[in-house]
Order: sequence, then structure tokens, then C-alpha cells
Amino acid sequence: MKNLNLASIAGLMAIVLSPVFTSFTVTAADKAEINTVATLRDHTKINTQKEPNPIPKVVNKDIKKARNYPMQPPVIPHTIRSYEVNRYNNKCMSCHSRQRTEKSQAPMVSVTHFMNRDGNFLAEISPRRYFCNQCHVTQLDTKPLVENTFTDMHSLMKQKTANTKEH
Amino acid sequence: MKNILIIGWKTLTKPSGYYSLGALVIGGFIAGIIFWGGFNTALEVTNTEAFCISCHEMENNVYEELKTTIHFTNRSGVRATCPDCHVPHNWTSKIARKMQASKEVWGALFGTINTREKFLVHRKRLAQNEWNRLKANDSLECRNCHNFDYMDFTEQSERASYQHSTALASGEKTCIDCHKGIAHQLPDMKGVEGW
Amino acid sequence: MTINRREFIKANAIAAAAAVAGVSVPAIASNLITSSDITKLKWDKAPCRFCGTGCSVNVGVMDGKVVATHGDIKSPVNKGLNCVKGYFLSKIMYGKDRLTTPLLRMTNGKYDKEGEFAPVSWDQAFNVMAEKAKDTLKKDGPEALGMFGSGQWTVQEGYAAVKLMKAGFRTNNIDPNARHCMASAVGGFMRTFGIDEPMGCYDDLEAADAFVLWGSNMAEMHPILWTRLTDRRLSSPHVKVAVLSTFEHRSFDLADNGMIFTPQTDLAILNYIANYIIKTDRVNKDFVSKHTNFRLGETDIGYGLRPEHPLEQAAKNNGKTAGSSTPIDFDEYAKFVSTYTVEYVSKLSGVPEHKLEALAELYADPKIKVTSFWTMGFNQHTRGVWANNLVYNIHLLTGKISTPGNSPFSLTGQPSACGTAREVGTFSHRLPADMVVNNPKHRAIAEKIWDLPEGTVPPKPGYHAALQNRMLKDGKLNFYWVQCNNNMQAAANINEEGYPGYRNPKNFIIVSDPYPTVTAQAADLILPTAMWVEKEGVYGNAERRTQSWYQMVEAPTGAKSDLWQLVEFSKRFKVEDVWPEELIAKKPEVRGKTLYDVLYKDSSVGKFSIDEVPEDRLNDDARDFGFYIQKGLFEEYATFGRGHAHDLAPYDTYHKERGLRWPVVNGKETKWRFKEGSDPYVKSGSGWDFYGHKDGRARIFALPYEPAAESPDEEYDLWLSTGRVLEHWHSGSMTQRVPELYKAMPDALVYMHPDDAKKRGMRRGDLVKLISRRGEVQTRVETRGRNKPPIGLVFMPWFDASRLVNKVTLDATDPLSKQTDFKKCAIKIVKV
Repeated sequence: MKNLNLASIAGLMAIVLSPVFTSFTVTAADKAEINTVATLRDHTKINTQKEPNPIPKVVNKDIKKARNYPMQPPVIPHTIRSYEVNRYNNKCMSCHSRQRTEKSQAPMVSVTHFMNRDGNFLAEISPRRYFCNQCHVTQLDTKPLVENTFTDMHSLMKQKTANTKEH
Repeated sequence: MKNILIIGWKTLTKPSGYYSLGALVIGGFIAGIIFWGGFNTALEVTNTEAFCISCHEMENNVYEELKTTIHFTNRSGVRATCPDCHVPHNWTSKIARKMQASKEVWGALFGTINTREKFLVHRKRLAQNEWNRLKANDSLECRNCHNFDYMDFTEQSERASYQHSTALASGEKTCIDCHKGIAHQLPDMKGVEGW
Repeated sequence: MTINRREFIKANAIAAAAAVAGVSVPAIASNLITSSDITKLKWDKAPCRFCGTGCSVNVGVMDGKVVATHGDIKSPVNKGLNCVKGYFLSKIMYGKDRLTTPLLRMTNGKYDKEGEFAPVSWDQAFNVMAEKAKDTLKKDGPEALGMFGSGQWTVQEGYAAVKLMKAGFRTNNIDPNARHCMASAVGGFMRTFGIDEPMGCYDDLEAADAFVLWGSNMAEMHPILWTRLTDRRLSSPHVKVAVLSTFEHRSFDLADNGMIFTPQTDLAILNYIANYIIKTDRVNKDFVSKHTNFRLGETDIGYGLRPEHPLEQAAKNNGKTAGSSTPIDFDEYAKFVSTYTVEYVSKLSGVPEHKLEALAELYADPKIKVTSFWTMGFNQHTRGVWANNLVYNIHLLTGKISTPGNSPFSLTGQPSACGTAREVGTFSHRLPADMVVNNPKHRAIAEKIWDLPEGTVPPKPGYHAALQNRMLKDGKLNFYWVQCNNNMQAAANINEEGYPGYRNPKNFIIVSDPYPTVTAQAADLILPTAMWVEKEGVYGNAERRTQSWYQMVEAPTGAKSDLWQLVEFSKRFKVEDVWPEELIAKKPEVRGKTLYDVLYKDSSVGKFSIDEVPEDRLNDDARDFGFYIQKGLFEEYATFGRGHAHDLAPYDTYHKERGLRWPVVNGKETKWRFKEGSDPYVKSGSGWDFYGHKDGRARIFALPYEPAAESPDEEYDLWLSTGRVLEHWHSGSMTQRVPELYKAMPDALVYMHPDDAKKRGMRRGDLVKLISRRGEVQTRVETRGRNKPPIGLVFMPWFDASRLVNKVTLDATDPLSKQTDFKKCAIKIVKV
């Protein structure tokens, strides 16, 4: 009986502390990322499943994220819930179109969006760019499962300039 | 015409020869309560969401669209029902709106929008009616819940707090100017200001 | 105060972003770097690594690293555009958990099926592999050896694999993941036209007056083709778009006529349209009489499950006759489809009559040029070949085919499902250029080109994808190599078939992958693999466009391409190890040689010198083997198709062009096949020539509606459909490692109707279990968002390695194509 109680207390403790433990295992996983398996499954066996985390919220801070390279489409720094982009209307353009940016102070879509397939500029945004969400996505408030070691060209160039100065 | 009115007035003003004054006063009072109460109850029944969506035009189009929006499901569970936004809260405007609604009864009877396609054809006109009404009353039904005086801008996103502290604060814009299509899908927005 | 706060937040955000991106931001901002020798990027073209659209991408390299990518302005496919996945290609190779050493399950330094993964050298890895393969060959013969490949292999990798398996090990147990993706399309093409792949091309997108999407969410799965379709629809107001699906998705945003139909009833809708065309007297009689004939197909063909399954026991014609048909005439066909009236089909499908009529009219009106698109809705279907046949019927009845804008267009899922899986023939029943192993003439052609003795290629078709998992479980397939795919996350019903199969103690499973996938986790040996521009290769897209790329960067030390792995492994086998004496006796000079010598180095594969590799180019594989292996493989493979309506240009041409659409005859590509004037193989004076069949005619098939393998009932009361999403490629093994894409779509949720959720006491975000007769998976409820299922159906994507929806799905397949139906099974959902 006493043992049972202890077990249940331990169980309760585990439940209470599980968020703490989870965060520990995530850090541990980060360290042991190289040449290990099941990194996207948090090292969970295939015939079992870890409890799915809650649905993260959309980052809605209106703070621009740096681009990885100049051609990368910027991510959307705000929520777009109920924003309609369909054949009747394009909600994004009510702030980001050329005519609307003075009022909205939102960034104008880049000039490339005015180019048709043949590279000629149209008077309005090309319909081929009509569905903004094919390239631009919101970001959810969650931590990537695996780190990415992509190198920014700027850091490479800085290395080189530093090297030239040394010589 | 004048004579009829005079006769009527005389009948009404003539003292009763049968019922006691007390009975008449109390009876009249009770009848008044019943009639007024009944009228108001009936009015209130038509002022519920259940009544609104008893017509499939409402249930299958606007109500179905509402279900996924923030005015239906949100953080605190305070949700807007159809009349919260579409029926004015003060009495005279409410009665005026109810009179207009008699036209919608005809619409329902004759099946003006009894398919999705027909509804979409009329959608722009219907939406325009509501936008005009809200524009004219300075978005009164929005403001019944969203009171400008009590907005905490620091709790809003940067974009929202900027617009609310400038355009909305100065009265240059009213809620509906920017917040179109927040509870239902939008019609074709060609030519609509701000789009 | 406000300004200060904002600046503070921004500074923090930048630092945080920089930390995530792995960039250190200097305390003092530097001046602009302007020196051109430092700012210069080396740009090269490559086809995108993801879907079957086949966009061309410009890849920017600096100091041996890919640092930028963007859409290739010169490519006719995408003209400078990419989708969000394509724009983030630069980052797919740089997940921190890239594998750099072979990993073998071991206990106390020795291989143990139940051991833990530990690093071994390539030499050790190949030693264990060779030993296992030789043991298996000795004990159970070549039929116990198998390989699961990919529509993401390069053409050369697929070809090298076919040669190694079918000629080297003499087993036809090689199948690609394209079996899950395109097999029904292949079946449809072969049955109707006698030759594989679309007659039209992407130019149809700018020429059509109407588009019909049948079970294709192009907006998410073929985003760049969707930009072209959107461009056409919005810039030419007369154009109409009809979209059919079992749930509302992003492609409905552009739909003039959006239709939600009950799963499986697409078959009835297709027959209704044929009936409508006939009833309204809009059959193109001239075309039909000259270029088609009619056939009645076999019915009640079962559901491709295990033979003991009750559904297979009940089916009458699920054996060899399932694909048979008998000739009929037009009147018999007209009578056959006449039962598909608008009333009946509307009731069956749930699509309102006026919408069905509007759809049928698009096809029937001779003035409207119609392009039909379909992908997994048709192909992942227990009657997938039928669905393909039925849509061709409509285009053939009206003659709307092979001319600009008139195009029944089967979209392909993977970047080289056409180029590698289909054209090279990496299927268990196929050989290159549409040939099949059970045809002795075809085998003879292959053996001649390969300069191998008669009888080398075994005649019996091998195990297809679903059967491979079943045979692994049953212990009949014991040595199994998986390359370039993630089948433990992709194949249906892994609870009952796939997982027990991989973990069967009798079996040795090898998985080659750049990353530790779910499949790798289930393996016994994991081989670290080079990917995309870390190697040279060729892909072929959905419009028959063949595109090549050079190696641009080095793979991480230790990682090797699939091609290198296949060819290097072949060095471990002497011909005597794998061939019987009587076969060797037919060609004694191979005695004592290795498979590497016979299949690659001393064959025509080895005839291109290493000097042909441009000096300033990387090519680790070629330099390692000492000859231009990619060119050798390509040129030998190309001899199969040249002169047989599959002509490819010389290898070097592809390095210069933004791809060419085969057949390439006299240096000219072909846009529309089967049409005189645009296809050089069409006999002059014929107008149209469907030369895939000997009589030059396409077949119109009378095939009925038959119900799905599993439908909702009282207990399992919901349809489950699975599929992909815009932000992730397939199982997410590359895109889930790109932080921006991961954050855009981190988890696979179950999309359901708000009323379905309410009825079960659920709300958005609730933790729920999806339960089928086969297994269960936990996820969270999504009642809003991009997919809007009708009441009674839920959708859950399969990109999420942590939430394996394929524990739930049913491994029913089309008995003709053997392709699994991932779109229909019955489940229930309960709160956890």
C-alpha cells in the first residue's frame, strides 16, 4: 500500500515535472544531433508516440526578420487569420499594394511582382503573383526541431575582408 | 376623416358606465403589460441567432462562414451572435431595422438567395447595406463591445495600435472602414474604398 | 518611451534571429563590402529538388557552400518564380543532423538486429551488406533480394539500380516510391494510349479556356503551375476554373465552379460527363471514328489487399484477368454510360445538379479548349487506372486532345517520377522505354544493349511497393535496400505491415539517406548520402522535360551519392557469386569479373573518359570511378528510347539547355505528341496518330462506378484523407529542417468541420486520437485554416515524422496499378 502511494506520488511528480524533463531532453537531443536517429521524433520509438505539443501561436510582432539571402521572400511578421486571397479579392494588397502603402505604411511588394512571364513590367501586380501565400508564410512561435547550419554569405565575405586586411 | 377622428376621440374620452375606474385602470395596465411584453418577447425571439439561422440561407452561407472566425471562437469565449452586430441595440433604431427586415421575409418567401450561387450574386449589395449602415452610425454595433476608451494599445500589435491611435482616435476612420470581412467572407471588392 | 521600447524589441529580435541563423552580428556595423572578387557568387542552374513541376533554380555558391537560390528567369517552366519551398532550397542540405558516417546496429562491436546504432566505416558497412546479400542469395535465391527506390533518384541512379538489380542480382524486386504516386497514371496511359506520359505540355496553361482540377490541389502541390493557371484565369476573364475534391482546399480560392464530392464518386461524375456529351449530341464523330475504338473493361476487380482479406475473397475478378477488356461499339458504350444521369450522379456524389451540368458543358462545348489536371486524387485510388481511363474518354469523345489548350494532363508528384521511375523503368515489372520484363522481346532488347547473355533478366515481375512490405513481414524478402525515400513514413498501414517487416529478425534492411528519417530509424544499416547539387544528375519532369545539373558543392565528408553507393557496392560481387553456371557459360569472358566490371566499367557505361568532365567542375563520383559515369549511364540508357518515340538529346546538350521535352528528334523537342505537325512520329496525313497502339487508335473504356475499399460505418464514422502541404516536401525530411518552413507549418493537425468537432465535444487544439481498424495516431484538432472538410471527412497531412498518420491508413491498392489509396479509409476520432 505504502509502495503504491509512493508510486502514485512519483507519477504525479513526473506529470508535474514533465515539462521540465521535456525541455531537458530537447537540449540533450541538440547536443547529440550528429549521427543519431529519430531527431525529428525527439528520439521516440516508431511504435510509440510522444504527446503532440499544443498548436503554437502565430508570431504577430510586426518585426521584420532578416533574410537569408536577398532573393528570399520575406516571411510575414503578423497574423493573417481570415485574410482572404481569392478570385474576388486580395486582402494583402489592401496594405501592401503601391497605392495603399502611404496609408498603411506597410512595405510595398517588390518590383518583380509587376513583371509578367516575359519579364515586362505591367501597370499592376502580375496575376502570376496573385496568391501571396505561395511564397510568403507566417511563422509560428515554436522552436525548430533541428538546427540549421546554413552560412550567410555576409559572414563569408566578412571573413575574407578580415583575411585581406591581415595580409 | 376629421369627423371619424372626433367620434373616436369622444368614445375614448367618455366615462365608462359599467366598469369601475379601478378595474379599468388595473385591467388596462395588465393588458398593456401583456401586449407590450408579448410584442417585446416576439421581437426578442426574432432577435436571437436561432431565429436567424432557422432560414437555410442564413445557416448555410453567413453562419457557416462565421464559424471559423474570431467572432465565433476566440480566447475568452465571448462570441458575437447575429443580432449583436446586425440589429441596433437602441429601441428606435431596432424597430426601424425590424421594419426593413420585412423585406427579407419576402426574399425568403421568393427564394431570392436560396442557393449559394444566388447568394454570391447578391452578396456585394447585401454587404454594402451593412457597411453603409455601420459607416453611418460610426460602427455603433462594433463599439457596443469594442469601446475605444478602454483599448489598451500596448496589448495590440504594432500595426493595430498605430492605426487605432491615429486614424480611429481622430475620427478619420471608423471600425468598418478597415475591418470588412472579419465575420463573413467578402464579396468582390472591386471599387470598394481601401481595397 | 514607446520608441525606446520598440528599438529595444527590434535589437533583441535581430540578435535572436542572428543566433538562430548561426550568424554573429558585430557590435559595430561594417561598411558595405564592394570589392567584386569578394561579392561575386558562382551561379549555376539545377532543377528544383522537390515536386514534379520541374522548376529550374539558379544556385549561388560561395566558398564551397550554397548561399542563395532563386527561380531561373531563363526557364520556360517557372520564368523566375519559385514557391516558398523552392526559395528555401539553399538551406535543405544544412540540417545539423546530416549523416556523415554509416551507422550499423551493433552489440559488442558486432552486427545485431536488436543492437543500437553505432558508427562504422564504409568498408565495414559494405562488408556486412555483401555478406548478408551473399547469404540471402545462397539460401533463398535472388527473389529474396529487393530494393525500394525513388522518383527522386537521378536518371543515372535509377538506371544504375535497374541494371544492378535486374541484370546483376537477377531479381525484379525493385520498385520506386513512385508506385505510391504515379502507377495509376502509368496504367491509364498504357491502357488508353499504349505509351506512357502526357501528350500535352505546360504550354497548355496559356492556351486553355477552361481548367478542370480532378483531385489535385495545385495551389499547394504544384504552386508554380498554379501561378501559370492563375495568370491565365485572371488575365483572361473568359477563362473558367472548375475544382473537384472531397474537401475544400486552397485551389478553391480560384474556382468558378467548386465541387465537393463524396469519396470515390468521381468515377460516376466522369461517366456522367461522357453521357452528357453523347446525350447533347456533341461527340466529335469524325475524330472518334478515325482515332479511337471502344472496349468494355473487366469489373469487380478487388482492392489489392492480401488474398485472404474478405474483400479479396468476395471479388470475382481480382486475378490476372482484372485488366482485361473486350471490344464494343459506340452504341454499346453509349448505353453503358446512359445510366449515369445527372439525377443519379448528383445524389451519389452530393454535387448539385446545376454544378455537374456546368462542368459537363465545359467539356461538351466544342468552342472551349479544356485542360484537365489530376494528381493523387485520381492516382491514389483503388480504381485509379479506371479514373485515368475515364477522363481520357471525355477528351477523346470530344477530340479535345494533343492540341494547344486541349489536354488531359496527369501531373506528376516527384521531381523525376517521369524521368527516372517511369522512363528508366525502375518498377518491378518494367524496363527502360516502356518495356516490360514479362515480354521476351523486351528482355532480349535489354540484354542486347547491356551486352549480357540471353536469359539474364528474369521474366517474372517482382514485388511491388505494397507487396514488398508484406513480403518483408512474411520473411520472403530478406535483403532490402531503401534509397532516396522515406517509406516508413509514407507507406500505408505500417503498424500491420511495414514496421513488423523491417524489424523481422530474418531481414537485413539498409537505408540510404542524407538525414536520419523514420525509415532510417527502422533500418539495420544507415548509409549517409549526398544530395541534390552535391552530385551530378538528370531529372525528368511532368511535361517530358529532361533537365541536368552539375555538382556544385562537396557533400559533407563521409556522405556519398546513391549512385556511388550502388556502383561501389557492385565491386563486392564476382559474377560467380550471383549468376548460375549455365548463364555464365553463355558468356564465359565474364568469368572472374565483378558486377562492377560487367555492368558499368567494361560496358558502354564506361566508355566516356574522365577528361570529358570539365576541369573546373566538381564531379566526385566520376573522379572516384575514373570515367564520366553519369554520361555513360545516360547515353547507354538513351539508346533504349532513341528511334522509339522516347528520343533523348545527347547528354552534353542538357547541360546547356533549360531542359528539352522528349522525343527530341533532329535537335527539336516535341510539345504535343500524337498530333501531326508537332510530333515527328505521327504518320503524315493522319491528323492524329496514337501510335502507342499498333492500330494507331486510342481506347475508350466502359468502366463503372464501384465503391471504395473501406467506407465509414457506425463505429468508424469518418472518412480520412491524407496528403501533402505547400511548405513541406513529402515526408518533410528536408523541409522540416529548414527553420522558416518548419515554423510556417510545424505539425500535422487533423482538419475537421467545426460541427464534427462540436458533435464529439472537441474544439480547436484538443488532443485527439485518430483510430482505424489498424492503428492509431495522436494529433490536435484544427477547425479552421486552409483546408475545410465537409461534415463526415477529415484530412491529416503526412509530412510530420512525429505523428505517423500511416499507422492508420489502409494498404488497399488499385489491383491494376498496385498503387495505394491514401485518400480513403474509415476512422473514428476520440479525445485523449
